[in-house]
Amino acid sequence: MSRWQYFLRRLFLSIPVLVLGATATFVIFRFGPIDPAAAIVGEAATESSREAYERVREQLGLTQPVGTHYREYMTDLFTLNLGQSWVIAPGTDTLDLLLIYAPRTLWLAFWAVLIPIFIGIPLGIYAGLRANTAADYSISVFGIVWRAMPNFWLAIILLGVLSQSSSLIGIDWSSLIVDTPVTGPPDLSNLSSPSGFLAATKQILPAAIVLGSASMGSELRIARTAVLETINSPYVEAAKANGVTQRSLVWKHVLRNALVPLVPTITNEAFLLIGGSVIVEVVFGINGLGWLFFTAATNGDIPVVTALVFVFILVVVAMNLIQDLLYVLIDPRVGYEGN
Amino acid sequence: MDSPSLTDRLRDNPTPAVVWVLGLCLLLGAELSSIAGALVDAGGSVANGLDSVFGAITVDAVTAGDPTALLILGTLALLFLGVGLAVVPRVPFSLSRRIGEHLSYERRMLLDAVIVAVALGLVATVSIWAGLVDLLRVGGSPLWTGLEWLAERPNLTSRELIPNEGYQVADGTWHGTFLGLSPAVAWTLRVLVVFAYVGLWLGWLWAGYWWYRTHYRQADWTPRDDMVQRLRTHRWGQFGMVVVCLFLTMAVFAPSLGTTTAEADIYAPFSHTIEYFDDSSGEVETITVGEANQQTRSVGYEAENVGPLSYDQFDRFHPFGTLTDGKDLLTFLVHGARVSLLIGLLSVGLSAAFATMFALISAYYRGLADLVLVITGDTIMGVPRLLLLILLTVLFAETWLGSIYDGGVLLAVILAGTGWPYLWRSFRGPTLQISEEEWVDAARSYGQTPIGIMRLHMLPYLVGYLLIYSSLVLGGVILAIAGLSFLGLGITAPTPEWGRAVDLGREYVATTSWHISLIPGLLITLVVTGFNALGDGLRDAIDPKADGDIATDTESQSRGGGV
Repeated sequence: MSRWQYFLRRLFLSIPVLVLGATATFVIFRFGPIDPAAAIVGEAATESSREAYERVREQLGLTQPVGTHYREYMTDLFTLNLGQSWVIAPGTDTLDLLLIYAPRTLWLAFWAVLIPIFIGIPLGIYAGLRANTAADYSISVFGIVWRAMPNFWLAIILLGVLSQSSSLIGIDWSSLIVDTPVTGPPDLSNLSSPSGFLAATKQILPAAIVLGSASMGSELRIARTAVLETINSPYVEAAKANGVTQRSLVWKHVLRNALVPLVPTITNEAFLLIGGSVIVEVVFGINGLGWLFFTAATNGDIPVVTALVFVFILVVVAMNLIQDLLYVLIDPRVGYEGN
Repeated sequence: MDSPSLTDRLRDNPTPAVVWVLGLCLLLGAELSSIAGALVDAGGSVANGLDSVFGAITVDAVTAGDPTALLILGTLALLFLGVGLAVVPRVPFSLSRRIGEHLSYERRMLLDAVIVAVALGLVATVSIWAGLVDLLRVGGSPLWTGLEWLAERPNLTSRELIPNEGYQVADGTWHGTFLGLSPAVAWTLRVLVVFAYVGLWLGWLWAGYWWYRTHYRQADWTPRDDMVQRLRTHRWGQFGMVVVCLFLTMAVFAPSLGTTTAEADIYAPFSHTIEYFDDSSGEVETITVGEANQQTRSVGYEAENVGPLSYDQFDRFHPFGTLTDGKDLLTFLVHGARVSLLIGLLSVGLSAAFATMFALISAYYRGLADLVLVITGDTIMGVPRLLLLILLTVLFAETWLGSIYDGGVLLAVILAGTGWPYLWRSFRGPTLQISEEEWVDAARSYGQTPIGIMRLHMLPYLVGYLLIYSSLVLGGVILAIAGLSFLGLGITAPTPEWGRAVDLGREYVATTSWHISLIPGLLITLVVTGFNALGDGLRDAIDPKADGDIATDTESQSRGGGV
């Protein structure tokens, strides 16, 4: 099987995943233990509320026969006709909600991916190059602990420290460099101006550090292992024997090859951030997609929840495909090792 | 070559075995009453359950077609058939051979099983009809009273043996505590006794294994010796083992480790009382725990805060301080450990069972079966795990499943249902490799059934992976449970859960009541790190070739990032 056949196979396999995922959301919508119409109208005690209940059921398509409803539901989902919210923002299209809430999550995710890459990987490489020294051990332990710390705990500790920062560490966080509140969503309206960019970045930074904490630990660990593996491989020995300088050995022969396994790790980690964003957004009061999902789920806004789940599946499938594509481009061995 | 059997070897050199068994009896004896107590509890609930089950089967109910009675009868019939199927291949004689010589082997087996099932059913009916059950009850009652008597004896780690709850009178002496020691010392002593007891157990088990190896084992060397040896030099894995043992002790001995009982602290504070010495009246007064708790809250400022390692005004010692509602944090945490562990074990057991079964199926049959499993697994893994957990716990919270064990069983089922693909993905590769081995092919050509091949020739090679990944996954599951209860989902109050303690202390992180969030969080981090370390150690011990293999990327399971 050639590399591109491998990629095509992955592409085809993602179609049934999407269909099955969408079907699962339909099952939740139609047969789930929470009746979406009842959650919207509330107790159907009076005559008028019972009428309202029936009206909502009809609008949601619940009165149709299952087959017709399923067909309509699936067509709607795959044409991104995601319906509208009924409970948390009545009458707003889910797509509009997505457009309002997504940028904040994207901004958060951007920094949560970037920070681990620029801190975790260099630390891991440093530790790998100085394997089994005191520096290596302390970096490794730091990575392990950093990775095991639960996000929700790290978030509230950081929040607590930052909100009392002037008395605890002597620096007042909220007035540092630019004035920003400790919690709340970042203002993304004037990212193009330097001060606006700085404010938005500073505002998101604590949340991004928390969200990226586990990724940083993982990337640190894998960078260290990758460096260790390449540094002990025969071609590095050979290069060393040929008199290649230490500097060029590290930069050219070790680092380049060590970076290959890091690419899928970074994409994998980025995928895991979607889930973690719920807790971080809830704690830091950032009303992004995770917050939207949590609020919709706990309020029984089933139409929004099912639509969001479908969108998440879509994003994840797309990210997996990008990862496969990167794999195919970077690693010529893909597809040849059997599967 | 004929070699002496284990019995012969035992007879030749009985001393170590006898010493070991005596030591075991001693260890068991120290805790006999709590074991008897557990038996009484379990026996009582089994008897109650049986009573209610069999009470539903009456002749009238069955002839009237009552669904419950029919359901129970059907389950019983299936149970008997299962017993028959299990017994038949292990018994050397067969009735059906006389009747149906021409039938195939499988059919004869089935026939035999049905015969056994019918016989069992007849015996059961006759014994109920003839009142044999009552006879059993009469015969069992002395045993029962004996057990109950045993359960009331003190045992080594019980709260009654080393009580730590008491009061200090004006002259400074303590009353009600162990030997008049201060509650802090008495409690520390009890904790030390518990851990020493567990340590003795572990040491004794290790000694038993070692003696077995040196005195009784036939082979001088087995591959498992190498695994043990690798683990003995694996410091990181040993660290994990210690942490996991501490956590397990915490969960198992929760009633002894708490400074007070769960009933008094968490579930029914207003139906329990404590005595304290009132300085103003100069007398010993009685107050309900609930009322006392209202005056020992930790809510962020000096006047209302009971920090770690301090006494409150009712002379109660709080090693970890109190919660926002005045309850003891340590008692909350040790019982929370129990809840986490139970749900964790249940869900990991379930998902490991699913994952193993599916891995065997997909490796043995491949093709379509494999493809279907790949797509199902990919779909489940396609939704970020925490979002799926939030969605499902919210969806099913109001159903009957959500009410068992304060949502714990539901949570375990959901965790298993969403967690098996991750395990399955880790098992699939090794299983595929095993299925290509020659012995599998050989077994197939000898006419071994697919289930037989999977069970006898493939499953044993998966056990190592099962251990490694279960350990790695358990840490992640404990994190997920804590994360959900932090969000107010999953396990509902009053059942204690670590994540809820973190949530309760959320507003007080930077105040004098910092302990409420900080201590549970540190414990979660430590336990998760411990399970990770144990998993790493087991992996290096069982499968040293996989060491440092970047492709085995199952680490995403037990990391803090998901929650």
